[in-house]
Amino acid sequence: MTTETRSLTTEQSPVAGLAHDMRGGISNPVLGMILFITSEVMFFAGLFAAYFSIRAAADIWPPEEFGHAVQIFPLVGPATVLLIVSSLTCQLGVWAIRRDDRTGFIRNIGVTVVLGVVFLVMQAADYAILYSEGLTLSAGTYGTTYYTLTGFHGAHVFAGVVMLAVVLYRGLAGQFSSRHHDAVEATSLYWHFVDVVWIALFATLYILR
Amino acid sequence: MSLSPRTRPATGMIVAGLFVVVVLLALALAVAVGIDVAGALRAFASGSAASFFPPDAATSQGDEIRSLYDIVFIFAAVIFIAVEGLIIWTVVRYRRKPGDDDLPPQTHGNNLAEILWTVIPTVIVAYLFFISWQTLNSVDAVSEQPEMQVRATAGQFQWTFDYLADDGETIEYTQFLPTGENGGLFAPVGVPILMMLESPDVNHAFYVPRFLFKRDVIPGQTNQFEFTINESEAGQTMRGQCAELCGIGHRAMIFDVHALTQADFATWYDEVRASAQPSGGPPASLPPNATIIDIAAQNIQFDQRELEVPASQAFGINFVNQDNGIPHDVAISQDGSLKFNGDDLPTVGEISYQIGPLEPGTYDFLCTIHPTTMTGTLTVK
Amino acid sequence: MATTALHPAATGYRSGLYEWVTTTDHKKIGILYLLNSFFFFLLAGVLALGVRAELAIPGLQLVTDENLYNQLFTMHGTAMVFLFIIPILAGFGNYVVPLQIGAPDMAFPRINALSFWMLPLGGLLLFSGFLVGGAATAGWTSYPPLSEDRPLASTGPGQDLWITALILIGTSSILGGINFLVTIFKMRAPGLTLFRMPILVWTVLVTSVLVVMATPVITSALIMLFIDRNYGGAFFDPSRGGDPVLYQNIFWFYSHPAVYVMVLPAMGMISEILPVFSRKPLFGYKAFVFATAAIGALGFSVWAHHMFTTGSVYLPFFSLMTFLIAVPTGVKMFNWIFTMWRGKLTLATPLLFALGFLSMFLIGGINGAFSASVPVDFALHDTYWVVAHLHYVLFGGSVFGVFAGIYYWFPKMTGRMLGEGLGKFQFVLMFIGFNLTFFPMHMLGLSGMPRRIADYDAAAGWTDLNVAATIGGFLIAASMIPFLWNVFVSLRGGKVAGDDPWEANTLEWATTSPPPPYNFDRLPEIRSERPLFDLRHAKATPAATPPGPDRTQQLPPGH
Repeated sequence: MTTETRSLTTEQSPVAGLAHDMRGGISNPVLGMILFITSEVMFFAGLFAAYFSIRAAADIWPPEEFGHAVQIFPLVGPATVLLIVSSLTCQLGVWAIRRDDRTGFIRNIGVTVVLGVVFLVMQAADYAILYSEGLTLSAGTYGTTYYTLTGFHGAHVFAGVVMLAVVLYRGLAGQFSSRHHDAVEATSLYWHFVDVVWIALFATLYILR
Repeated sequence: MSLSPRTRPATGMIVAGLFVVVVLLALALAVAVGIDVAGALRAFASGSAASFFPPDAATSQGDEIRSLYDIVFIFAAVIFIAVEGLIIWTVVRYRRKPGDDDLPPQTHGNNLAEILWTVIPTVIVAYLFFISWQTLNSVDAVSEQPEMQVRATAGQFQWTFDYLADDGETIEYTQFLPTGENGGLFAPVGVPILMMLESPDVNHAFYVPRFLFKRDVIPGQTNQFEFTINESEAGQTMRGQCAELCGIGHRAMIFDVHALTQADFATWYDEVRASAQPSGGPPASLPPNATIIDIAAQNIQFDQRELEVPASQAFGINFVNQDNGIPHDVAISQDGSLKFNGDDLPTVGEISYQIGPLEPGTYDFLCTIHPTTMTGTLTVK
Repeated sequence: MATTALHPAATGYRSGLYEWVTTTDHKKIGILYLLNSFFFFLLAGVLALGVRAELAIPGLQLVTDENLYNQLFTMHGTAMVFLFIIPILAGFGNYVVPLQIGAPDMAFPRINALSFWMLPLGGLLLFSGFLVGGAATAGWTSYPPLSEDRPLASTGPGQDLWITALILIGTSSILGGINFLVTIFKMRAPGLTLFRMPILVWTVLVTSVLVVMATPVITSALIMLFIDRNYGGAFFDPSRGGDPVLYQNIFWFYSHPAVYVMVLPAMGMISEILPVFSRKPLFGYKAFVFATAAIGALGFSVWAHHMFTTGSVYLPFFSLMTFLIAVPTGVKMFNWIFTMWRGKLTLATPLLFALGFLSMFLIGGINGAFSASVPVDFALHDTYWVVAHLHYVLFGGSVFGVFAGIYYWFPKMTGRMLGEGLGKFQFVLMFIGFNLTFFPMHMLGLSGMPRRIADYDAAAGWTDLNVAATIGGFLIAASMIPFLWNVFVSLRGGKVAGDDPWEANTLEWATTSPPPPYNFDRLPEIRSERPLFDLRHAKATPAATPPGPDRTQQLPPGH
């Protein structure tokens, strides 16, 4: 065993097949991720609080010069749909690995990664359009809050894509099974959180306005 | 227990002894350094700066706050003496005797006690909240038709007071000097005065210890409060100071409050308005050989302290502001009243002032936005 | 080191510097937290001595430049809060909590290590401000517009370094909080139900909830300030629709729960020490737990009491909630006192510091009640009264609690006892120095001395009290000498501690001093919140509650 050069990850370690403490409840990594998501929710709560506070104090909101720039089509609306679909494919991947369907798991996580990347690209393209219309980070309170909110969300999407890619890689290396896939569960929770925040952002910035 | 009670001297005695030693050492050190220990103790007892109470209030609102403070103080003193007394009693009474290895009764708790010391403090704090709320409503009340309105502008690092007309907008007189016998807020006693607070730069706070009151000055909003100085304060001068960190001049942002009888205030107010010239009032143009002074402002200082111009002739000042983002202007005053008040430059820039003829004498020139640090002497002869 | 069938060639325990730098052992990480935090305590203390030396008499003597003075108190406050008190309590939690719940380590040991190492890095970032033209100068609260990049405010990188350092340190805190929560919820030994946990574990639990929920909010405020300063943002710029008071609201929404983060674990430590040195259980265990939870919950509802004078706050609500939070605090005070009542007290150094905590926190709680009354706060806000209050609760409270914890757990961590004589001497020196420094500040605040001023008028009459406060400050500094000497001497040749030198109640004393890397060879049966006491006095008390279900039978055979 000690001559193995491959690192001993969960599924391949010699104890993987042994039964062990089955005290009920969620696993440590999943509980840790739930708590981490809680902290991230509070982070966005601070940003939302700033947005709503500034908005309430403004006479006209969005300001006249920017009201028209922020549009659901052609980019943001479809991007939203894609992100929601990616949550679905992510969950399909989780259900697949829970029943040991490793192929289905790989396929669904792969699609999720792609959708995540597409979302980021569409977001970047939208930023380019807005910039050309004069809505920048320093364009008063509207620009500041808009880019801070969507920008930090985008950063979280990026982090989620990286996590999904790592999960995909580890899955391809055979490190997950129905018995051991804590990282998949945790990552999927994070991805759903990213999606929920986007729905809240979309509703706030594009529908409520 | 690793300390064997049998062989060690009483711990309490050691601790008490150490306390005595250290206190004596501290007293000796204080005397050696030259501190008037006896004087300090006397001051403590007599209630001057070293007192458990705020200074006597100078306003009717301050009197109400003081009454509230006194009630809170009584509760605080009683609770402190009772609880601290209980702690000290417990420590003295229940010390373990040397050699006693028996366990005391292993009481885990008492529900009745828990209820009592939850309910009783709740009642106490509810009462304190209620009387505080009553006092707050009274202190924060603002008359519908204020008799007098003053705007205090807190900038970095001085106070300016604008006396306003009844419309709350028109400035009847600007007091730009914050301290001194000609400076600061002059106010009549017995009159409710509405004070409006504005800042063009950072947060400040308007604080007069003898009002037992302060209110923040926040850029972008106008805070206001009303105060009525007690009749007994006529003739008194009180200190005020900025109480919100505002940068490198925070410690010096001081202002005086001069309380006057209503008659004295009316006299003062008429005098200062009469002697202040309207700003600008320049001659149409300067004669060809008129004196032109060049002066610049940099790092909140003028580059010259002494100026000279001929008497009874119009003259000009070319003024350059070299401080980015900091407003400056040039004004001329004599004995505290403005003879000329030039328009200000809000940032880096230049302006030419044309000033009408002045009588011979000694004048002050200053920047009305920074009157305590940017000032100099103008000799007219 | 025992070998197992799994890793027959496992190497011996690494030693030396490499081990300490790469360790994931909660005990070593806990000690690293203590060492790093104590270093910043001394550093921030020196800054405070600079403040006190300047303020002793009127006139600018030491600090000719008010800009430097503003750096001194800004960095003093910032370092004390973020690099000393919060992390040192996390350090105690790190060391003690897994032992007290019978766990072999924290839930995420590598994240634990990461959390620690972010701290020296954050400290470096913060203090590097002094090297790049000036550290932050806008107070530890850093209100805009003073903290914005504008003339006569906070130009220069010092403020940006301050922001980034705090974001890093805050992240460290959040990761630690997550670690504690998962550890406490998921890794308790069999029989250790929630209501048998030591109170220190409860306070760390509630503290961690506060950390996880509140710290991200200040992260958002810091990021908004950074964007304002560096990317033309308008969050707090009133000329473009922003609002300086918005920062205050978001800042204090974290910073008020933060003060409970700064004191609850210290209260937990006191709650361990008082029963042991009274030889009776903690009075009202369950009330204590509920009071702690109430403080945590109520702590989220009072933040605007720091903003009563802004004119932008709904005053009655925040005043009421602030008054109410005194009630659970009072419950705890009485429970502590009645733990000692009819006990048999041994006045060892840990108990002395615990008594100091009780008395000083009592004063801090009482003078806080004055500020809860809004009209009185109009007189006292931003004066030295507040400086007195915050130091009575944070120093008189938390720091005395920290020293109580040091004297109590040093034997467990090192295997040696700290000297009692030097300990008592430190206590007396520190107690007198502390009160001499901060009690006069009540009077100074009442008579009108504002905070954060580099100098004052001789005519104000504040000189004598300031001299007293300065002498007290240097006495506090002097008290560090017997302490450091005590640590130095005891590490080398102090009395050997043994497993349980204090005849204590909780599981950490059921193993060697210091414990082996895996913490326990075997655990005693856990039937109450005092498993060791039960073991020692099996005949003196009946079992507090029947033992929990024997979960070992649930494992399949062959485990």
